[in-house]
Amino acid sequence: MPLIELNQVSKIYTSGNQQIAAIDHVDLQIDAGEFCVLAGPSGSGKTTLLNLIGCLDEASSGTIILDNLEVSRRTVRQLADFRLHNIGFIFQSYNLIPVLTAEENASFPLLLQKVAKPERIQRVGELLHALGLQGLEKRRPRDLSGGQQQRVAVARAMATNPAVILADEPTANLDSKNSSDLLQMMRTLNRNKGTTFVFSSHDPMVIAMADRVIQLHDGRLVSDSHQDSVA
Amino acid sequence: MDYLSLAWKNLWRNRRRTLITLLAISLALMLTQTLHNLAMGSYTQMIENGVRSGSGHFTVYHHGYRQDHDEKLAFSSGSLIATLTDTAPIECVLPRIHLGGLAQSSHDSRAVAIMGIDMAAEAAVNPVLKNLPAEQWLRKEQPRDALLGRRLLDELKIHIGQKLVLTVQNRNGDLVSELLRVRGIIDSRIKQIDSSLVMIGLNKAAMITERQGQIHELALVLNNTEAMPQLLNTISPLFNDNSELELVPWQVAMPNLADAIRLDYASQNVMLLIIMLIITIGIVNTLLMSVMERIHEFGIMLATGMSPFKLWQLVVCEAAMLGTTAALFGSVLGSLTTWYLVEVGIDLRDFISENMEFGGVVFDPILRATWSSAWMLESALYIVLLSIVAALYPAFKAARLAPVDAMRHN
Ligand SMILES: Nc1ncnc2c1ncn2[C@@H]1O[C@H](COP(=O)(O)OP(=O)(O)OP(=O)(O)O)[C@@H](O)[C@H]1O
Ligand SMILES: [Mg+2]
Repeated sequence: MPLIELNQVSKIYTSGNQQIAAIDHVDLQIDAGEFCVLAGPSGSGKTTLLNLIGCLDEASSGTIILDNLEVSRRTVRQLADFRLHNIGFIFQSYNLIPVLTAEENASFPLLLQKVAKPERIQRVGELLHALGLQGLEKRRPRDLSGGQQQRVAVARAMATNPAVILADEPTANLDSKNSSDLLQMMRTLNRNKGTTFVFSSHDPMVIAMADRVIQLHDGRLVSDSHQDSVA
Repeated sequence: MDYLSLAWKNLWRNRRRTLITLLAISLALMLTQTLHNLAMGSYTQMIENGVRSGSGHFTVYHHGYRQDHDEKLAFSSGSLIATLTDTAPIECVLPRIHLGGLAQSSHDSRAVAIMGIDMAAEAAVNPVLKNLPAEQWLRKEQPRDALLGRRLLDELKIHIGQKLVLTVQNRNGDLVSELLRVRGIIDSRIKQIDSSLVMIGLNKAAMITERQGQIHELALVLNNTEAMPQLLNTISPLFNDNSELELVPWQVAMPNLADAIRLDYASQNVMLLIIMLIITIGIVNTLLMSVMERIHEFGIMLATGMSPFKLWQLVVCEAAMLGTTAALFGSVLGSLTTWYLVEVGIDLRDFISENMEFGGVVFDPILRATWSSAWMLESALYIVLLSIVAALYPAFKAARLAPVDAMRHN
């Protein structure tokens, strides 16, 4: 039983009288524990596909099955709950909450899960430490570098131990050192905890580090291949 | 960190805007509370002065007297006064005879209103006689003493110590004249009183009209206006059986004053309503702006798994905090100004020199507020409630956001 299953999924955007198929009849299965990259040029539909998998967006047609249940059968509330407990997101532009400190940002999903404060602090403290952010717990996002903010975002995605982490061009705003550090961290988590990773990129160096490369073009899945990852 | 602290932090994200909004709401609340307390203070003063110079908190009349002031409708007061003062905690009872008549001096004549009074009782409470020195009081042993309004005295071109003749109708309808002597000057600053009132001793008035032991009006003055309902319960049974007499509260006996206060309070309320409306607009504006500029962030929260309802609660909670802070701060300011106005007051003597008349009553030139704590609390709660209501729509908008669209928003 795959963890993520897409059957003939399409996402059509209508702008004016023009219809754009951002995702065009995609079939895809991802198993638990996979470490795969969505590759493709700009506008090929990577973000759209990740949003569909992450239940942030609804497909125009086709079915998406997560954890043995069709997404479209869930209510808005159930979807929010499902995201909270099963999916971690890492966004290209970090997307931290500006009024909260690094620690508070990282523990936000735990707050939503109603985890008690001492436990939140402890769990996130360990994560931040592992991500090399010790000493920066009380800083606001604007007082952190891009790489540090991205690591806080990673900590937030990891805090709830989700089954899947979806990352949309997580390295796009990072230099090559920070990029490969981030990829290493993701890889470690994938190996140690079996967390499934689906991330998008058009950086060949990043793509080379994945086990599986899913290539998109104009919304269509053009190739899907396993490789020996560099990492 | 929990939701409350998150809401509080969100509130202070745009510090300057929040401060300005907070200050605007607080000042508006302070203004409404102060104005209201000041108005209440001036009404209290007016009622106090009004009941003491006029009809008392309650007045006893013969049935029908109020309507056409028929001098024939007099009643005997002796036993009634004793019964009343025995039954109820009344500060003072003022028996009065009212007559219409003509005053003549050697120079001129004027139509006058004649009031027969109990000098000692009247002087103790009636603000019309506040400026009357003790040596000008009507004397028991000199029944021909009379007090005249200042303007009336001028118009008759006479002075203290000089003579005048009063002509009135006696109980049989015959005209009778009586020689009197000016003993003192009534200086009430109310035009109507100062230009037409003549006060004489109660006994003298009764004697002239051959109505010994009878009066037209019995004014009851209480220590405290708030004791009125309680007193009414105690004394109204006295008047149920006695069909000849009626007991009326000051609002009925002095409809002019009651109407003037009612009118003033209504216009006051319109002003307060306008202030509240302006506050409402300010609150809605601030909340809407703060929601609009955080759409992206709401998208992140929703994507992370925050339920729309939780987000709705967060926004409403921010508004409630804004409202509560403003209500607290505004009430503190309002209490400070009220405290000042209760203790010190506003001295109007610099602004108004002559006529301190309102609804036919002189009022104190030093305007003082009274505490209406219940009203202050209500207005503060209204601010909190208003903030919450104003947040409902922006919060609803935030909760309805689709996470993807919201996150694309910059
Ligand atoms: N909300 C939208 N309305 C209309 N068209 C959209 C919308 N979102 C995406 N698209 C279109 O869908 C297609 C796929 O967009 P998407 O953002 O998924 O591409 P991408 O692969 O993530 O590109 P990039 O590498 O630049 O991030 C593009 O043609 C885009 O213009
Ligand atoms: Mg993209």
